[in-house]
Amino acid sequence: MIVKGPGYDFDQLSDDSKPEDLTHRPNAVFHRQEPPLDKGQGRGSCSVSRGMHLLLFFLVCTCRGSLHAQDLSGIVVHAYVSQGFLYSSNNNYLSMKSSDGSPQWTDAAFNISDSLADNLRVGIQLHMYQLGQFGGSNVQVDWASGDYKVNDHFGIRAGKVKTVWGLFNDSQDIDAVFLWILLPQGSYSIDHKSFYLAHIGGDIYGGFSLGKRAGTLHYIAYGGQSTIDLNDGYIQTFADLGLQFTNSLGGKTYGADLQWETPVRGLILGSSGNWLAADGTAPAGTFHSPAYLVSSMYGKFSRGKVYLAGEYDRIPINATITLGSTVIPFVQDGRSWFAMGSYQLSKKFQLGSYYSHYIDKAADTTQPVNYSKDWVVSGRYDFNAYFYAKIEGHFLHGTALGYYSDTNPNGLAPNSKMLATKIGFSF
Amino acid sequence: MRKARFLMLLLLASLGSWSAAGAQDVVLVANKGVKISEITNADLRAIFMGTKTRFADGSHAVPVTLKGGPAHEVFLKHYVGENPEEFRSQWRKVVFTGQGAMPRAFDSESALIEYVADTPGALGYASRISSHDNVKLLAAVK
Repeated sequence: MIVKGPGYDFDQLSDDSKPEDLTHRPNAVFHRQEPPLDKGQGRGSCSVSRGMHLLLFFLVCTCRGSLHAQDLSGIVVHAYVSQGFLYSSNNNYLSMKSSDGSPQWTDAAFNISDSLADNLRVGIQLHMYQLGQFGGSNVQVDWASGDYKVNDHFGIRAGKVKTVWGLFNDSQDIDAVFLWILLPQGSYSIDHKSFYLAHIGGDIYGGFSLGKRAGTLHYIAYGGQSTIDLNDGYIQTFADLGLQFTNSLGGKTYGADLQWETPVRGLILGSSGNWLAADGTAPAGTFHSPAYLVSSMYGKFSRGKVYLAGEYDRIPINATITLGSTVIPFVQDGRSWFAMGSYQLSKKFQLGSYYSHYIDKAADTTQPVNYSKDWVVSGRYDFNAYFYAKIEGHFLHGTALGYYSDTNPNGLAPNSKMLATKIGFSF
Repeated sequence: MRKARFLMLLLLASLGSWSAAGAQDVVLVANKGVKISEITNADLRAIFMGTKTRFADGSHAVPVTLKGGPAHEVFLKHYVGENPEEFRSQWRKVVFTGQGAMPRAFDSESALIEYVADTPGALGYASRISSHDNVKLLAAVK
């Protein structure tokens, strides 16, 4: 899910509202500037709101009848850490100096959860990441929720919860579960993930058997508030356009995911819709995006050693930026799809490949700045149940995704190759 | 064309090898308080993948697993339809997205059976040669 700079005519702007340094390709290359922090506003952090505390408290209170004194034996702790390295030809990727080789990619998370009763569970996960110039040493609440499952048909989860969308949205930052080092960037852009990854609010979820010959239907519906963190790529985009946000921006979100576990063992088909709105005010102006629908259709087949998956996504945005008296359209029609497959060659080694395709239909799709096509080959080796290593080759065509002007001051070549490696630990 | 045919054969061979026999090597063990005496393969898969938390009679199910070994691999292969790596990966996804808690895993069959015997609703598996005196055996049906 990508938002790039608007494809507008800079001549529309009055002189004092033009960005200081307009690049030759404002649609995709952005300057990195550190936004100042507000007091009490953790940079990039999405603090747990008072409302969420109340909601968790309410959940615990409503179930007090079945609670017992906790002996701590039910508390479960999990964590993961991963360290990546990027080396690329021609261009620098994801705000790293990857053409020199960059290890500026670290991820770590820690979670603790407890089942307070058979049908009630609470937990929290803390997460930190550094990705080139994004992220930092600050620790964010990745999710923190109470989960009350009435029965297998209906459950409710509230707090800060991961947003289920498409095949990978809720798990896109959990390196340990994938063969891939980078997921298809047209659908799961790693430098723009904060807006989509989680929401503060609630989910209802469950499943229904459709009978022996028709499989099972799983659903999730949610509503809440999504926030663009101050350390996200979007903030950089807006800064380059003259909107230097000092507070996170965001808006209401609601959506649903419907997944059909078909009678063909291992075959799952699904569809997601997520309505998102975003508003923010910066000293120089405002950003306003009315609710837009991010839609997805996907399928996966997993049986034995074989894994196949594909997804089609559409992200039509029709937002405006107001700088003084100038209103600038921020229009995009992002369409992306990918197809992937992998094979477990041995207990320890998995090999796979995918093709990811992204175009902005609202712009000239013949220009490299408006498309990104990526052929990928990946390998993963699990030393044991906890340690793993990955290696991945990317053959990139187009420059629509993942490039920033301050790490590419001499412009961009339309094509590049990239080698990524990662080691990780998870328990 | 020849390459495509080779890839198709490789795919078919891998699917075929995965569905080879061996289910008779493991038995399903449950706490003696569990009222059902048989369980469908679909329910088994759903319970061990975390999408279902109750037996057919509505009582709470507590799935437990072995950490590894032949019985673990045979069980996952024939009843859950996953290999151990994919099974672990699926559960990691559940755990790290805050959607559930991984089933308790044991180093040995004796430890698993002891836990199943002591825990209401517990459901696990063991090799046929293990001692199953304190637990109930469930039959798997299609």
